[in-house]
This record gives sequence, C-alpha cells and structure tokens, in this order.
Amino acid sequence: MSQEKTEAIVIRQAEFSESSRVVTLFSKDFGKLSVLAKGVKRLKGPFDAGIDLLSRCHVVFIRRSSGALGILTEARLAARFQPPGPDLMSLYGGYYLAELLNGLTEDDDPAPLVYELAVRSLDGLMSDVQDSLSVIVEFEIGILRLSGHLGDLTECTACGTSFLEPSGAHTDGSPAPGRLVHWVSQGGLLCPSCCRPEYRKRSMSAGSVAALRQLGRMDRQMSARVRLTKQQIRECHQFAVSAIAHVLGRRPKTLRYLDIG
Amino acid sequence: MSPDRPGSPDHPCGPSVSRLIEQFSRLPGIGRKSAERLTNHILNCPAGDALALADAIRTVREQVRRCSVCFTLTEDDVCRICRDPRRDRTSVCVVEQPRDVVALESSGAFQGVYHVLGGRIAPLEGIGPEDLTIDQLIRRVRQDGVRELVMATNPTVDGDGTALFITNLLQNDDVTITRLARGIASGSVLEFANREMLADALRGRREL
Repeated sequence: MSQEKTEAIVIRQAEFSESSRVVTLFSKDFGKLSVLAKGVKRLKGPFDAGIDLLSRCHVVFIRRSSGALGILTEARLAARFQPPGPDLMSLYGGYYLAELLNGLTEDDDPAPLVYELAVRSLDGLMSDVQDSLSVIVEFEIGILRLSGHLGDLTECTACGTSFLEPSGAHTDGSPAPGRLVHWVSQGGLLCPSCCRPEYRKRSMSAGSVAALRQLGRMDRQMSARVRLTKQQIRECHQFAVSAIAHVLGRRPKTLRYLDIG
Repeated sequence: MSPDRPGSPDHPCGPSVSRLIEQFSRLPGIGRKSAERLTNHILNCPAGDALALADAIRTVREQVRRCSVCFTLTEDDVCRICRDPRRDRTSVCVVEQPRDVVALESSGAFQGVYHVLGGRIAPLEGIGPEDLTIDQLIRRVRQDGVRELVMATNPTVDGDGTALFITNLLQNDDVTITRLARGIASGSVLEFANREMLADALRGRREL
C-alpha cells in the first residue's frame, strides 16, 4: 500500500453504503482510478464537499498493490463545475465529457495531456463567452487524437492519396463533389476511388475536414482561433460520434441530452 | 467458506438460519458479521418479539404506498400533509426522495406541501426525466394554481441540473421558482467555514 497525492476530476460516483461511495477519478498523474470514499456523504469529513461530479480537487488516496479498490483519504476542492446561466447544454456537455473520459481511457494509465484537455474543456463549458458546442467538439476530437483513435486526416486510409487537394470525383457510393468520406471502422478518410458501397461511412464537406485537421493538431492557440460554422460543428461532431461509438461498441448514453444535430 | 461459519449453505443450525443471515446482509450498512449478530439476537430473543418484527416488515410492505398527489410514502391514498387543510397548497417544495420530506418537516419551517420526484436526472446513470414524476409536477403546477416552487433537490451537479431542467420547463408559466439557500450554517464561525461555503453564502446574500 502506498499513499499518493494528485489532482483529479470526479467523473463517476456509485453508491456503496449509506454514507460511502465508490468514486471514479480521472487524475493528472495516474489516469483513471476508482477509490472508495468512506463517509463522503457526511457534511463533516476529510473531503471538504469536494467530491461532486465534474469537480476538480486535490486528492490523497491509498493505492492497493493487489489491484483492489483504493481508499480516498482526503480531498480539497480546486474548482466546482458550475455551468453559466439557465442553458442546460453546458451541463450536459460536462456529463458527456465525463462519459468519454471514463469510456475512452484505461485504468492506471497516466494521460496528462488528456487531463489538461479535460480541465480546459470544463473551464470552457463554465465560461459564458465560449460556445459550448465548439468546446464539446474540440474535446471529442482531442480525446480521439490523444487516445490514438483519430486516423490520419491528410490522406486516404486505404491507398494513401493526399487529401490536401480534394479531387471531388465521384462514382457509386463515393462522395459528392467537394465532399470526403469518413470510413467509420478505420477512423480515417477515404478517397472517392477507394470508397465502396458496403463500407460504413459518412460524407463530410472539405471545410469540415479542414476544421477537423486543425482541431486534431491539438495546438491550443490554433484551436482558440478556429471558429466553426454550424455545419462544421454538426459534421465534426457526427464524425467524432461515429468514431467514439465504434471504439466504445455503443453510442454514448449522454448523447441524447445534447442537441447538436 | 468453512462449514461451521454461520451463513454458509451448510450452517450447523440449518438452512433457515443461513437464509436469515443472507437476508440481513442485504440491508444497507449491514455486513456479514452484523447480519450474524442480528440473527443470533433473533434466535435468542422472545419468540413474540421476533414475530412482531416479521409482522411489522410484512405490514409496512403491504400497506405503505406512494401518495397519489405528492408521491411521498403513505398508508393512505393521500398523505397526511396533502390532506392537512392548514397547509398552503400554492407553495410546493420539490424534493428527490421521501426521506427529504421527513428532514424538511423536522425543521418545522415550511408550511406548504411537497412533491417527491423519486430521484434526480442523472444522465451518467441512465436516469432521465421520464423516470421521475416531473410530468405529474408540471400538471400539478398548471392545474392546482401553484404560485411558488421551492427546489429542494440536493446541492449537487445532478440536483442543480434537475432543478434547472424543471425551471426551463416552467419558464412560461406564472410560478415563482426558488432554490434552497446554501452557505454557512447559523451559529458557526466564519473563520472555520470552508471556501465553498463562504462563496455560496456570498453569492446567495440577501438584503436586510
């Protein structure tokens, strides 16, 4: 047993007993981990009211070497998730973000860049100046990229033809002029000549593909400058959801609350 | 599991003892050891006491149901609070669970009536608005002339989200929607209040 200290986001809570919960944290230094928070529901205790969904806190926990559930011994709140105004989209975006963090990451696999992206996205959802839909799409593309599920968006996944100058030709099952195709099972793009009717695919505009490439670069300053149109948000989101559903083996359940189109 | 350990399938006292230990250990907060202690108590206490406990459990399961108005637990079709003519029916306090009604009633500070949602919207747990009594609440507000809804869901992300969801549904209705205040407790000392409590108290400050 060893005592560890880190910063973490609460991404899931499950009832354990009358006053205790099993809490799933996505931490900066240890990745995803589940710990038992004894007495977390009591007003007085070592958790400082920090253990609420999507709150960010400094935690101390005891790791069990046998792989058994660790014990959370202390938590100090760093930032509570408080969406601005009466719009529920930011709140539901937060739930979606937690579901993706839980589903697309592995236990005890440190991913500091994913943590940084998650903190930035939660801050974005709490901000009243940032568009929550853009924040959600940026997070989707970012976590796909960082978890290795985002293919190369500059060339055809099948034949390697460069897409930087889309030809726009089309035959049966291929995209219309000016549009490219997302090959869902491979997580990449297909050129018109490699496109087959039997493939599970989704058509995208060249503009949306360009936006995807920019978001996928994970350049914070560049991402801040990207202004997505409604169509780009919708198409990038559909692209991301296809890829996420393929990885998870199901559609994320919190998606029904997000009205992105 | 060793054969002489109470609760094992071949417990020396017989399968009925094993079954009781099993049933007790399913209760919240009761582990295997506590279940064994409770079973020993049942076996050693007067038979009348043990049977009275069994009868109380049977009766409560057979007679207690949801109030047809507010959905709290009651032995009648309509609960005592909803039947009370002294209660202000234009003021409805919305809570997650029947036990929240008990907690709020113990304060003696609320003279209106209640509405029990049966939980909170928790998308990560697959609990949506359709799993709660939100439709019934909206109907109640629109048909019964409710003037104020006091949102007393828990002060958590899920509780706040549920309150906000209901508020949005009623944004075009003539009803005042309030949220329970949060912050420092009466009689406490500012110096020892945590950061979050102080921030909540400052955000929810009111004019004197």
